[in-house]
Amino acid sequence: MGASMASVARLEPVDSPGPLGVFRPPEIHIECGAFRGSLATLFVCVRESKVDLLDIPLGPVCEAYFRYIIEEQQVELESVGVALAALTYLLERKAWRLLPKPEVEEPDAEDLLDDVDPYVHEFQPMIEDLLGRAEERSHLFFRSADSAQLPYELPFETGGVSPSDLAVVFERLMERAKPDPPETLNRPRRSLSEMMFVVLKALPGDFMNLEEIVTGEFTRTEVVWWFLSLLELIRLGQARVRLSEGQVQFARGE
Amino acid sequence: MADSPATPEDLAQALEVPIFEVEEALEKLGGRLHHTSSLQLVRIAGGYQICTKAEYADAVTRFLKPQKHKLSRSLMEVLAIVAYRQPVTSAEIDAIRGVDSDYGLRQLVEKRLVVDIGRKAAPGRPVLYGTTQQFLHTFNLQTLEDLPKVEFDEGILSEAIGTNVPPDQPALPSVHDEDTEGDEEE
Repeated sequence: MGASMASVARLEPVDSPGPLGVFRPPEIHIECGAFRGSLATLFVCVRESKVDLLDIPLGPVCEAYFRYIIEEQQVELESVGVALAALTYLLERKAWRLLPKPEVEEPDAEDLLDDVDPYVHEFQPMIEDLLGRAEERSHLFFRSADSAQLPYELPFETGGVSPSDLAVVFERLMERAKPDPPETLNRPRRSLSEMMFVVLKALPGDFMNLEEIVTGEFTRTEVVWWFLSLLELIRLGQARVRLSEGQVQFARGE
Repeated sequence: MADSPATPEDLAQALEVPIFEVEEALEKLGGRLHHTSSLQLVRIAGGYQICTKAEYADAVTRFLKPQKHKLSRSLMEVLAIVAYRQPVTSAEIDAIRGVDSDYGLRQLVEKRLVVDIGRKAAPGRPVLYGTTQQFLHTFNLQTLEDLPKVEFDEGILSEAIGTNVPPDQPALPSVHDEDTEGDEEE
């Protein structure tokens, strides 16, 4: 435990309630790296979220409370009760803080939208009309149904993976990245084609999540290089991407 | 060999002939294909393009095995609102639908059915959205004029976007109100 406890520094019998009818807890002194003061002050600071309870070991505080009860010959029932209530509050708050937080999965935005009924139903006939036209159109086959694809755009068929899906993968990788060290002069530069070669070698034959492919420590700049190379490999057909159970997965090209 | 609809103007310029000659030739070509070919000439998305006839759709589908890209109901809602109310801002779409439409708009922009067509002269200069040529192509439309005419209940729409007058506040007289009052007096 990182707290040194001066047990009961000064005990003042609490024989009358405060202005709000609440008894002040006895002055059990607490001293640790994150906090120095009485139990009452700690109680107030925690309640007002001014102190992070995770930084304060409560074991010595409990010990001090018991020493207070044992060593003091004439403890007031109110003092004991108030100190116990304050201590219980702190223990409960800390217990909640220590409980692992369940990972809250953000609902798919698409599902959210689908669950909500439109406020205005006036557009329903238009939607029906457009759907009818799309159905008619699906019976016609043009030389290139999806026209005007720019040569440097991602290929249209990316296994249902949209640029937004790719952006999510990129963000996740960026979150894991460490900040870049300060620039050094005359640092050798790496070209994109060199990096593409590295990425191609790292890509597995079978589809895997990017988190499983890119392991170890890396900087934010390396993530950008990695991702640019990956996108270029996908465009060239040397890497494959697919959406499997909501996860974007990558593999080497066939 | 164009992979998008060709306009008579573009064809006339390329062939260095007057537009009316191109249109006559297109008419003849359409007629010939209609009688003798499994292909047809159609007017779509502001131009002309050759495609397979609908009666051969099953066979072509079995051969090409195209991937179906069906839009969800929410995307169709956003798309219909953009198509009929364009140019329209994201906030106006939200107000009409009663839910956030940013995700839907982004998806439609990625699918190249909707595009940023400018900014509204309003506080914050919000982006205005409109439909694209790809939209016309996807929904088998020659122009936006081909969309069925719809009479909007502007009362409901204005209620949705919050421009209606609160019930406890006297409404300002309008030309329409005066006409109505006149009718009642008669």
